[in-house]
Amino acid sequence: MFERYGGTKKALLILLFVVLLLQAGSICKGQAFRPDEWIVREPGAFPLYPDPAVGDDNIECIALNNVYEGLVFPDPIKGVVPHLATEWEAEPGGQKFVFKLREGVKFHNGDELTAEDVVFSMERLQTIGEGFAYLYEVVEDVKALDKYTVEFTLSEPVGPFVEMLVRLYIVNKNQVMANLVTPGQYGELGDYGKRWLLMNDAGSGPYTIREMELESHMLAEKFEDYWGGFHENAPNFIKLIATGEPVTVRTLLGRRELEITDMWQPMESLMAAARIEGVELAYLPCAQNLQIMLNTKRAPTDDIHFRKALAYCMDYNTVADKMYIGSPVAQGPVISMVAGHKKDMEVYEMDLDKAVEELKKSKYYNQLDKYPVELSWIAEVPEEEKIALLLQANAAKIGVKVEIWKKQWGHVIADAMRPETTANATIMFVGLHFPEAGSLLKSRYHSSSCGGWEQMEWLQDDEIDMLIDKAFATVDKDERFAIYGDIQERLVELCPTLWLVDHAEVRAYQEGYLDWPLANHMKAGGEILCPLMGSFDYFRDMKVFPEKRAALLGK
Amino acid sequence: MRKTWSSMLLRRLLQSILVLIGVSILIFGISRMVPGDPARMALGPRTPEWAVENLRKQLNLDKPLPVQYGLWLLKMLRGDLGESLVTRRLVNDDLRDFLPATAELIVVAAIIEIIGGILLGVFAARYSQTWFDGFTRVLAYLGVATPSFVWAIIFLLIFSFAWPILPATGRLSAGIITPPRITGMIVLDGILSGNFAAAWDCLLHLILPAISLAMYGVAQSARITRASMIENMERDSVYAHAAAGVPRRVIMTKYVLKPSLIPTVSVMALDIVAMAGNAFLVEMIFNYPGLSRYGMTAMLNKDLNAIVAVILILGLCFVVVNIIVDFIVALLDPRVAHYGGV
Repeated sequence: MFERYGGTKKALLILLFVVLLLQAGSICKGQAFRPDEWIVREPGAFPLYPDPAVGDDNIECIALNNVYEGLVFPDPIKGVVPHLATEWEAEPGGQKFVFKLREGVKFHNGDELTAEDVVFSMERLQTIGEGFAYLYEVVEDVKALDKYTVEFTLSEPVGPFVEMLVRLYIVNKNQVMANLVTPGQYGELGDYGKRWLLMNDAGSGPYTIREMELESHMLAEKFEDYWGGFHENAPNFIKLIATGEPVTVRTLLGRRELEITDMWQPMESLMAAARIEGVELAYLPCAQNLQIMLNTKRAPTDDIHFRKALAYCMDYNTVADKMYIGSPVAQGPVISMVAGHKKDMEVYEMDLDKAVEELKKSKYYNQLDKYPVELSWIAEVPEEEKIALLLQANAAKIGVKVEIWKKQWGHVIADAMRPETTANATIMFVGLHFPEAGSLLKSRYHSSSCGGWEQMEWLQDDEIDMLIDKAFATVDKDERFAIYGDIQERLVELCPTLWLVDHAEVRAYQEGYLDWPLANHMKAGGEILCPLMGSFDYFRDMKVFPEKRAALLGK
Repeated sequence: MRKTWSSMLLRRLLQSILVLIGVSILIFGISRMVPGDPARMALGPRTPEWAVENLRKQLNLDKPLPVQYGLWLLKMLRGDLGESLVTRRLVNDDLRDFLPATAELIVVAAIIEIIGGILLGVFAARYSQTWFDGFTRVLAYLGVATPSFVWAIIFLLIFSFAWPILPATGRLSAGIITPPRITGMIVLDGILSGNFAAAWDCLLHLILPAISLAMYGVAQSARITRASMIENMERDSVYAHAAAGVPRRVIMTKYVLKPSLIPTVSVMALDIVAMAGNAFLVEMIFNYPGLSRYGMTAMLNKDLNAIVAVILILGLCFVVVNIIVDFIVALLDPRVAHYGGV
């Protein structure tokens, strides 16, 4: 009898176990906290290092802008505005800057933020040398004059120094010193708190890290004692999720488990996402410019007329209208909305007659078949191939042969080290380091940047170098901007680059229950003054409406 | 007999150690010969040269390759696998986090593969040339021909998007408290600590990635089991047992299924271990923080210590599973052990 029913008994026992487990699950679920009601979630490419002396990637900038604060703040709409520093003075020579700090600012552990923390943050960044440290190589000395006053001394005059400070995030000295791991590579400072700051924060920003899981997510919660306060619908939690897979992102949007997409989603995927009820697209002009760099030290692109011929045969409107929707045609070397961009400049437009005219002036005109143009595009950015094909097709119309090479990013960096190995033309996105024209002009066209991926033109033009140095040494903004204008005009004349489009990030977001002031501003025809990496995702400004989310879920 | 088993185990262990040393030399050499400066890649193009040089020294990259290997081996024997360039943590800590996650995923996938593959194979053989056999055949073709990441996308779109009955990503839902770490496997830790909500929630999160991973193995195991079953059912001894009045259930389990499982077990075991290495796309799609994804990120970023550690762990798994399989096969067919075939 027992043997006969043994199987049935086992099956019943298993069923009972599963039912109990289900029951237990439903009981225990009620005991957990639910951060998903007032949350904004966004995907991104991990690893994420939320240490101000290490991180410098897009997702890290988003995390740092929300968890830490700087002396000044990169407000996308208003520009660089006072933040932890309420006022400052620059000495006329442009080598000394004194900042007055906001009083009563609290770190997440309750300590007060003082000038000592600013000094410590700069020294730590310079000693470690990673992240945004390269921006502050000119800082020779930094000292606390009193509890709320800090003085920076520079090794050479730097007019846009205040704008450069957007990437100096202030860490809590006491908290970091209490979490040093010794021995470490920084002598008595051990590891300078690097290990601890990879999983924790020592900031004063509106959000504080609650969970940090590598290759998974970063969850941060509202810092209730934040000096700037919050409006009542501000998200209580923010979550950066380690994913970028279009199908995953779309699924999460549909389940209302993701509020904003990252900037790297393909257009087809975004269009599909926009068909989900309550989801809309936001077009945000960003800190990047898409260009084709022309090697001025290698035939045939060493000839200025040959370069101009290429510039005239490029179809800029097709790139803007068909490939990078929402991205306007570039108006010169500097992104149009960046402070210091020279407006109303004459730039190159597609005109095959002018292209032929320029080509005839080139020393390579009668031997075009001997001098094909080697054009590289980055294998990791497949969209670039379309641009390569477009230029190839147009160049063929004027008799110029373009050979297309697909190169891995590492390969491009290695080739960029010498002019003879750098391709004639390379399609590349370039970005701002700080929100002013000088950032792009220096990193792109000053001779000091040759040998790196940011300048594959090998321009090495003495006049350009002199003008850039002069602009950086000019503290007066109007004077500085006038020099930036001269540099841009000369660059257009030299034509070392085909400036294609000012890139616009396209994001899908839950318009049905998320109020994103920046997206609204752009929808209303507004402009962006400070398009800095990570500054668009300032979650404190956003508002969430859980009841609207519930209504969308219930449909 | 006991002597045969112990000498067999000893021989296999010695062979395994040699294999692992060989693998470590090979991977250590290859990972360092691939073009690209790992220190520069880790710190980015704008980091000053002095900081990059410091990291090179820290990684011993300024020393000859044999010296680098010797230093790495000494540290490894002390249980220190070095620091990861991607996560900036000790590789030991990374493995402690990522290995249990993948182990948990593979265990669930293995259960699905074992039960699904064998059951489908047995029933396909039992009801050979019926509609069920045809259905199993189609399922097997689909399972073998379709990569696991395609299944992952299909399942995600169906069961998380169009008909959202299962969670889409991660290991736990928002709002579920992670159980205290005992093994690192949340289902097990949840049960052991009485946090059944976490165990259940984690199990729900595992279903789609585990099925996606198991599809290939289920298909392959079903076909092998079916073929072996049909072959064994035709043997004279089976007819003799039936004629002698042995119950059909006994014949099917003892005289048909048992020998039929020998090829299935061998193939299945290697399939299951291979899942750990091949799971990276599935882990990416489901945003699952596992070892396979960690290993792939390490390879793309030339994270030397992490690459060697992940491959050694996978190699170790292969070796251990191979030994276990040999013993299972010997149990199923004692002649294998007796004649020293293992």
